[in-house]
Order: sequence, then C-alpha cells, then structure tokens
Amino acid sequence: MLIKVLPTFLSLSLLTGVSYAAPAWTGADDQPTNPLACDASPADVASKPYDGGAAVDAPNRKGKTLKAVDIPKLVGIGYFTATSKGIAEAAKEMGTMDVKTDGPTKANIDDQITLIDNYTTSGVDGILYAANDPVAIAPILKKALAAGINVVGYDANSSPDSRQWFVNQAEFNGVAKSLIDTLSKEIGEDGAFAIVTSTFTTPNQARWIAEMSAYQAKCHPKMKWLETVEAQEDNILSFNQAKTLINKYGPDLKGIVGMTSVATPAAADAITQSGKCGSISVVGLATPNAMKPYFASGCVKSAILWNPVDLGYAAAYVLRATADGDLKPGSKSVKAGKLGELKVINGSEILLGAPFVFNKENASSFDF
Amino acid sequence: MASFAHIRSLTRHETILAMVVVFALVALSAQSDRFFTVANLLNQGRLMTEVGLVAVAMTFVIASGGIDLSVGSIMGLTAILIGVFWHNFGISLPVAAALAVGVGTLGGFVNGLIIARCGVPPLIATLGTLALYRGLAEGISQARSVGGYPDWFYLLGQGQINGLPTQLLVLFIFAITATIILSCTVWGRTVYAVGSNEIAARFSGLSVERSKLAIYTASGFAAAIAGVIFVSRVSTTRSDMGTGLELDAITAVVLGGTSIFGGKGTIVGTILGLILIQSLKNGLSLAGVRGDGTIVVIGAVLIVTILLSNIFSRDGFPEH
Repeated sequence: MLIKVLPTFLSLSLLTGVSYAAPAWTGADDQPTNPLACDASPADVASKPYDGGAAVDAPNRKGKTLKAVDIPKLVGIGYFTATSKGIAEAAKEMGTMDVKTDGPTKANIDDQITLIDNYTTSGVDGILYAANDPVAIAPILKKALAAGINVVGYDANSSPDSRQWFVNQAEFNGVAKSLIDTLSKEIGEDGAFAIVTSTFTTPNQARWIAEMSAYQAKCHPKMKWLETVEAQEDNILSFNQAKTLINKYGPDLKGIVGMTSVATPAAADAITQSGKCGSISVVGLATPNAMKPYFASGCVKSAILWNPVDLGYAAAYVLRATADGDLKPGSKSVKAGKLGELKVINGSEILLGAPFVFNKENASSFDF
Repeated sequence: MASFAHIRSLTRHETILAMVVVFALVALSAQSDRFFTVANLLNQGRLMTEVGLVAVAMTFVIASGGIDLSVGSIMGLTAILIGVFWHNFGISLPVAAALAVGVGTLGGFVNGLIIARCGVPPLIATLGTLALYRGLAEGISQARSVGGYPDWFYLLGQGQINGLPTQLLVLFIFAITATIILSCTVWGRTVYAVGSNEIAARFSGLSVERSKLAIYTASGFAAAIAGVIFVSRVSTTRSDMGTGLELDAITAVVLGGTSIFGGKGTIVGTILGLILIQSLKNGLSLAGVRGDGTIVVIGAVLIVTILLSNIFSRDGFPEH
C-alpha cells in the first residue's frame, strides 16, 4: 500500500514545490535583491552614510611614495593579470606608488588570508585585494587597518567595516539586467537556459545570480532556468560542465550563461565542438580577447564585462587618494587619472561605471 | 661505545632536520627584520595549528604504513556541520561544535572500518572518502556559508591566553599527548609493529585491526578539531574549507622523517617539519619572495632534507 502511494506523494510534493514556491536559483545568495526597472530608466540612488573602516593611527602619507601590495583572488588568469596591469599602469603614471602583485595560485581563502597576514607583518603602506570570501577575509583586513595600513578592495568586496573603500566595477543589478536582457533577446522570452558559475559561495557570482533571478522573475517571467553548475574558475572543468549540460538537456537547452571570464569562452568552445552553434546561445561575462574567435565564427553574439584594466587603474588611484586623505568619509567623488571623477555610492564604494557589452563590431578595439 | 652512540644520535633524521630549521631561521631573520619577532612567530604558530593537529595524527597513520587523504574533507564537513547544527537546527553552539566533532570522528572511524575490516588499501579507501565527505559537505551546506557566531567562539581561533594564541596551546597539548602515546606505550609500539611488518605483528598476538581502527578514528578526530579551530579563526563556514590540507600535513610528516613505508617516525620530527615549512612560507614572503617562488623552495627543501638524511644515515642507503 505504502509503496504504491509513495510515488504519488512524491510527485505531488514535487509539483507543489515547483508551482507554489518561487525557489531562488541554486548558486544565489540569500541577501535581498533590488532588480532594476525593465526599461532603461535609472534606479534612484539612496545616499548612505560612510560605512567603511578606518586605518588606525595611519602616518601622514601625503605625497610620499606608497609601498603597496595587490592581492587578487588568484594569479595566473587573464582577468587578474589585466587588473594588475591597470594597477601597475596607474602606479607608473603617479610615480609615487611602489606596488607588486602577489596572490594565491588557487582561489583559496586560507592562502589568501596567510598572504595578507604576511604583508601586514612586513609593514606595507597599502593593501589592494579582491576577496575570495567576504567574511573569512574580514578579521585579517581589520588587523591590517589596526596596524595603520590603508586597505582598498576591488572586484570582490568584504564586509564594509574591514576596509576603507571598495571599487565596484558595476552594480550587481546592472550586470544582472544586462545579462538577462541579452539572453532573452537571443533565446526568446520563453527559452530555457542553464548557468555555469565558479562556486556557489563566490560572493560576486552568488550576488549576480540572485539579482538575475529577481530581474528575470520581474521582467521576463516566461524564461525557464534549468540548473546552475559549479566549475571553479577552471577552464577544463567549465568545458566539461557545459558539455554535460548540452548532453543532459538536449534540445530543451537554448542558452548557457557563463558567470566567470573562464566559463563563458569554455561554454562557447563546448558548443562549437558539439556542433550546436546557432541552436544554443552563449552569453556571459568574458574578456574580449577570449571571445574574439567565437565572435568571428558567429557562435557567440555578445559578452558582457567592464574593463578590468580600468578597474585596477581606479583601485590604485583610490588607494593613493585614501592615503593622501583626499578621499575621506563624506567625499562624494574621487579623481582617478584618465578615468576622471568617479562617483561614491552605497556609503563606501566607488563606482567604475556601467557594464559594457562587447560584440563582433567593437571587440577588436580592446586588447585584454 | 658511548662516542659511537653520540655520533649516531647526531646523524638521526630529527637532528639533521633541527639543524636545517635553525639554519633556515637564521637565514630568514637575516632577510627581513620583521621575521624573528615574538609577535610574528606567535602569529605563525596560530596559522600552522590546523595543519599541525592533522599532521600529528597523520604521523600515527603513516608510521603504521597507511595514509589518510580524507582529512581535508573531514575538516570541511565538520566546519559545515557546526554552522548547520547551530544556525539551521538552533542547537546551542558548544553542543553543535561537539556534535560536529563527533561526526568528523565518525568519518575517521568509517575510514578505519573500510581499511581494517574490509581490507581496502588506505590510499584507495581514503581517496574514496575524500570525495564522499567533500560531497556531503557541499550537499548539506547547499553552498550557503554561516557566519555571525557569538564573540566568545572566536576566542579559540583569534584570541589568546597569557599572550599565547589559544589554538597553539591546543596543538601543544595534542603533540605532548601524542609523543607519550607513540613512544612510551604498548599502543604506540603496536603502531610501529604494524607499520614494520603487519603479518609479524598479527602473529605476535597484536590486535592489528583494533589498532588501525583507533588510528584512523584519531585522525578523523584531529581533522574535526582542526575544523572547529578553522571556523573560529576565519569566522565563517564554507564547504571548500580544508581543500588540499591533506597534502600539507603529509609533507610535514614526511619531512619530519616518518617513513612512508611505515614502522618509523616521531612526533618531534613532524613538529620540526611543520615549523620548517611554516617559517619558510612566512620568512620568504616577508623577504619579498612571491607565493609561486615559495612553493618551489619548499619542494626543493623537502627533497634535499630527505637526501641529506639518507646520506648521513648509517648504511648510506635509503631506509627501504
């Protein structure tokens, strides 16, 4: 009796699960979302008081040469090579910053924490970082602040009170809107798609996915999300995961969204090798150099990103301005060399600008 | 005869390693004046505790002729369970931590069962549970991290007692206990006997199975305690915690002179191995060497130390 009834119960509970609850997509974080309007109208920016931390008893560094270290999530991938290039460029331009890049070889929280700890001990003036985990990195950054070191984040934030400023490449809801709008244009309002992300806990990716989920529900309610899969920031793993998705969903799958600069070209490669160009679209975050072959073959129409060189460049200028005392709690904007004035948002963040959509036509004018 | 014994003790692996450590400490202090300070050294002690706990237990495992690759995954699973028990089930934090340690220890016990009762080679058994426990950690956590623990919980990983990092005391107690067990008890002798010649040990009437069960359970327990300390140190839980920890621990143990074939090894050697690796990592970084350069040096030091030890050992040949 029980055995006969059980499957019915199971399928019932599955059905109710799907139809009533609006489950957050796997890989999304549990923070509140703030989807943008479906048309292009700008969001109102609520001004917020400064919520960053302060370097304790920092010496007067105005005009003096800064000894700084840049600690990205990991070294050896194109994206962070580009941010380091931007930082080095800005340092050279200013002439008053002595900066080197050192990061873990894998996106590992413990290795990154140990590195920051060592540089804090060695007595640098400034730390630039991109966090592998927003909470885990906080105690060690607070220790650096307590030692009088200026701390500025870029690319991936930590809890606000553990750093002074954070250079935000693009607002999460803006990136989410760009991705979902582009996707709906390519696969149609009722297309089904899957996501290849780094890991479910990586802060940026989790935030984007949460915002994408909210924006899709609001503006493109008929699109169907199938699954989110993890692929670290690993080329081969991303390729394999994309291949698996293609085989698993067959003709149902209309699009793959790559959430990392590694996953997007890998997914494009998987689709090219499976001969699915044209029937499955790829959109996602990617650097133009990696996407140029797929733009040329017509397999991918567009990719979305900010300029990581500019991101590093801005981060270096923000660190300089913080050390000089020109950027302080209450500041409304900061000068960042060739990028001009950048706006302060969300209390203690500097906004780089709106995300940029690369395509076949404009990709050739970028080299990173 | 006395002088002969004296010379032999000089050429013991631990003695050579101790000299290498002293040499490294002197060389690194010369490279950066921030290295040999009390604050920095204590801080390094804090950072090496998790690997240290696992390495101490791993000394038993390797001396018995086995290996435990699942320790990093057990650490990750324990970390996740603390968060889940406390945050999702609303169990009070000390009980949640104790339960999580219990599950981690159980993980080690399961390793022991598979190895001792079913006769699966340790490398294969723990390679399997490496994937299994990590998968459980990721599945249970649903990739959510849990933070916001009460302040007293951070005492373990971030606090200090009389100026000493709290967890360093834990490691100290752990290491002393392990030294006594390994060198002064029947139980410790059994570990060496099993590692030297399992069949001979069995025919000598030693309980090989029970000894193995205990060794792997202890290894799971040490990894679980390391998990609690790690959560307290970084104030959050993630399912990828402890990835690669097994290799760091095995490196320290092997550098410390424990034979990978079993039958030989001391806790003192393991601790010296740990200190050498940690001071190289830290000292080179302070001296301005980048992370990728540091791991090259550590690899080279491992090989050179083992070679030196083999050259100076009495017969001039490798132990096996």
